Amino acid sequence: MDASLLTENLSYILPEIVISAALIIIVLFDLIFHNDKRIIPYLAVAGLAVAGFFIIDQFSFEGSAFATSSSANNFGMITVDNFGSFFKLFVVCVSILIVFFSFSSEEIQKTFDRLGEYYALIFGMILGMIILVSASDLILIYLALELLSLSSYVLAGFTKLRDRNSEASLKYLIFGGVSSGLMLFGISIIYGMTGTTNLYLINPLLQAPNLNLITVSFAMILIFTGIGYKISSAPFHFWTPDVYEGAPIVITAFLSVASKAAGFALLIRLIKTTFVTFTSPDGYWQLINAFDWQALLIIISIFTMTLGNFTALWQNNLKRMLAYSSIAHAGYLLLGLVVMSDQGLTAILIYFVFYALMNLGAFYIIMLIANKTGSEEIDDYTGLGSAAPFLGVSLAIFLVSLTGLPPTAGFIGKLYIFIALVDAKMIAVAIIALLNTVVSLYYYVRVLKHMYLQKSDSPKDAILPSTGQILFILILLVPTLLFGVYFTPIVTFAKNSISLLGF
Amino acid sequence: MNSIPIEYYLILSAFMFTVGVTGVLIRRNAIVIFMCVELMLNSANLTMVAFSSYLGQSAGQIFVFFVMTVAAAEAAVGLAIIIAIFRNKLTVNIDEINIFKW
Amino acid sequence: MNLELIIFIVLALTGAISAVGMITRPNPVISALFLIFNFFALAGLYLLLNAQFISIVQIIVYAGAIMVLFLFVIMLLRTGEEPKLFSEKKHIKYFAIVIAVLVFVQLGYLIFYEAPSEYISQRVQQSMEAGTIENIGQQLYTTYMIPFEAAGFLLLAATIGALVLAKKNFE
Repeated sequence: MDASLLTENLSYILPEIVISAALIIIVLFDLIFHNDKRIIPYLAVAGLAVAGFFIIDQFSFEGSAFATSSSANNFGMITVDNFGSFFKLFVVCVSILIVFFSFSSEEIQKTFDRLGEYYALIFGMILGMIILVSASDLILIYLALELLSLSSYVLAGFTKLRDRNSEASLKYLIFGGVSSGLMLFGISIIYGMTGTTNLYLINPLLQAPNLNLITVSFAMILIFTGIGYKISSAPFHFWTPDVYEGAPIVITAFLSVASKAAGFALLIRLIKTTFVTFTSPDGYWQLINAFDWQALLIIISIFTMTLGNFTALWQNNLKRMLAYSSIAHAGYLLLGLVVMSDQGLTAILIYFVFYALMNLGAFYIIMLIANKTGSEEIDDYTGLGSAAPFLGVSLAIFLVSLTGLPPTAGFIGKLYIFIALVDAKMIAVAIIALLNTVVSLYYYVRVLKHMYLQKSDSPKDAILPSTGQILFILILLVPTLLFGVYFTPIVTFAKNSISLLGF
Repeated sequence: MNSIPIEYYLILSAFMFTVGVTGVLIRRNAIVIFMCVELMLNSANLTMVAFSSYLGQSAGQIFVFFVMTVAAAEAAVGLAIIIAIFRNKLTVNIDEINIFKW
Repeated sequence: MNLELIIFIVLALTGAISAVGMITRPNPVISALFLIFNFFALAGLYLLLNAQFISIVQIIVYAGAIMVLFLFVIMLLRTGEEPKLFSEKKHIKYFAIVIAVLVFVQLGYLIFYEAPSEYISQRVQQSMEAGTIENIGQQLYTTYMIPFEAAGFLLLAATIGALVLAKKNFE
């Protein structure tokens, strides 16, 4: 590779380079200046902002860097396209919010002497995610997935203040190790059948007529195991409630939003670049007849949301309840993929923006309350409506939005998914999803009932959030309400972001 | 030199893979479960090296090189987590570590 | 029967038997030793497949570093023997084994149904060249530069993570 080509290729991966540089700077800063740990979060925000700038700069630019062979019209390791840039931007924005989130977290502040390691690992996760959403080679995908997983195993048990932290780590680790092992075996089968690891090169080879479809299906189910574990879809969800409950709340929020988004981006890229031949003018994808993704995803998504919603009904810990709710949301998001059309993809992107706002908001308020009361049990929320009026109202709005009721953003997100389903004539699936939403109403409202309608035995101390905390809540709360009535910019943005390189 | 069909390697790899999966399901010691995961990774490695050699290209072997890197990193982190658990619980049996339901 | 096939059968049997031994022995130390056996057998098979570099790395990294780490931890923690394999939760374990046998039969069926040897024949010359250290090094630093860097960050994250976990609890 000569120098000019290298420079050009490097310019494609500027966001990744910035994040890696920030990671190294944080590690070095922590080693050299022991006593100035307070600066590290600002370094992190600065790094993320610069990366965000380069991502926005890359918008509406398409290209493929680091080609695996020197022949013409080849595709490389990393693909830059609007779809990838959308998810990179999403991850970076969520990460900035998570940094501010960490400021208010007592769990993290108690481990102040390890702030450097904490942010280094957070950046490890971010790097893994932004490589994952743009990688188009199975080798790089596997490495990015492992980078993301390894950093999150440690972060899930980071504070070790309670037994359950390290236990969450262990459980995450064992499930993660097994599912990545299964995925790797699937990848090895695909490599054997096609002789390449590049997603774009696998596509034409899968169209070969003499292909054994059972083997492809077997390999794809194994690969889906690894992805399903990341997005916590149903048969691979077992780790989710325990890890979400055991991990520090900041990490739970990060896992439930960013890591899930990265997993979805990978799944969509995998399906679209390896299995789609062309997109018809009305936006529906023509799939290669090698593996019936649609059938698999319909079953998985219905199973996922039903299981998530019904199990959430009898959870008494709010973090655990939100864990099952996030499983259910993975089910709704998969529905957007089931229709296999550009419309469904747009719906997924819209849903993710809103999901990030409301889920981060809900977790943030739960964390503020847990900072004071030291508990996430639903019984301890009794009478909180009067003890913490602002937090109570905000939590109520976030939960209503998570349910998907009208004046909030959550409603718009669900609406677009349902419209995509109905347009694709999948009425039965849409009805099942609708019934699920009704079920989910019950457990979200149950929290509100505890907060407002039940009298507590002992008077609660008032919880007064600081100005910074109120500001942070407003940053999440205002868009949640605003996008519920004025959502055109997000929809336009999502519609512009669905193009993948080559399709 | 062409005497061994590639199927022999694949069967061995499939066998090791299933043994690894079985081990994960039936063993209770977290360290041993972890070793079973290593066995699964190795069976995938064998498949990849076999195909890479029979196809006469190096991509598979390079993949195996990266898998080994990942395995080493995962072993370091995993064993550190297991030691951290052991400090709290004095056991690594996953049936006894049950604040959470498994 | 030629020499190559004999070597293959010996190594494959070692690998298969040591894999079974690993999951059936109740003592974790013996399990780990069986796994090391398995890794050595694999290293031999890699040599048979002309993958010299991978074969050496298999011994140095897997058998030499990873398994020594495992043995250290096992001996450090002294977890003792597990109860006999089928002494508790019998039904679940039998079920697991039945599933595993089914998966294996399925895989075996796929492999022979697919019969990859019909369209893949070993290209000795090419595979000899592909597996050398020169070639792999060349590829790693050119074509696979990005994964190589990602692997570097993976190791960095793992180092930091292991350090965080190994530090004592807070006061």
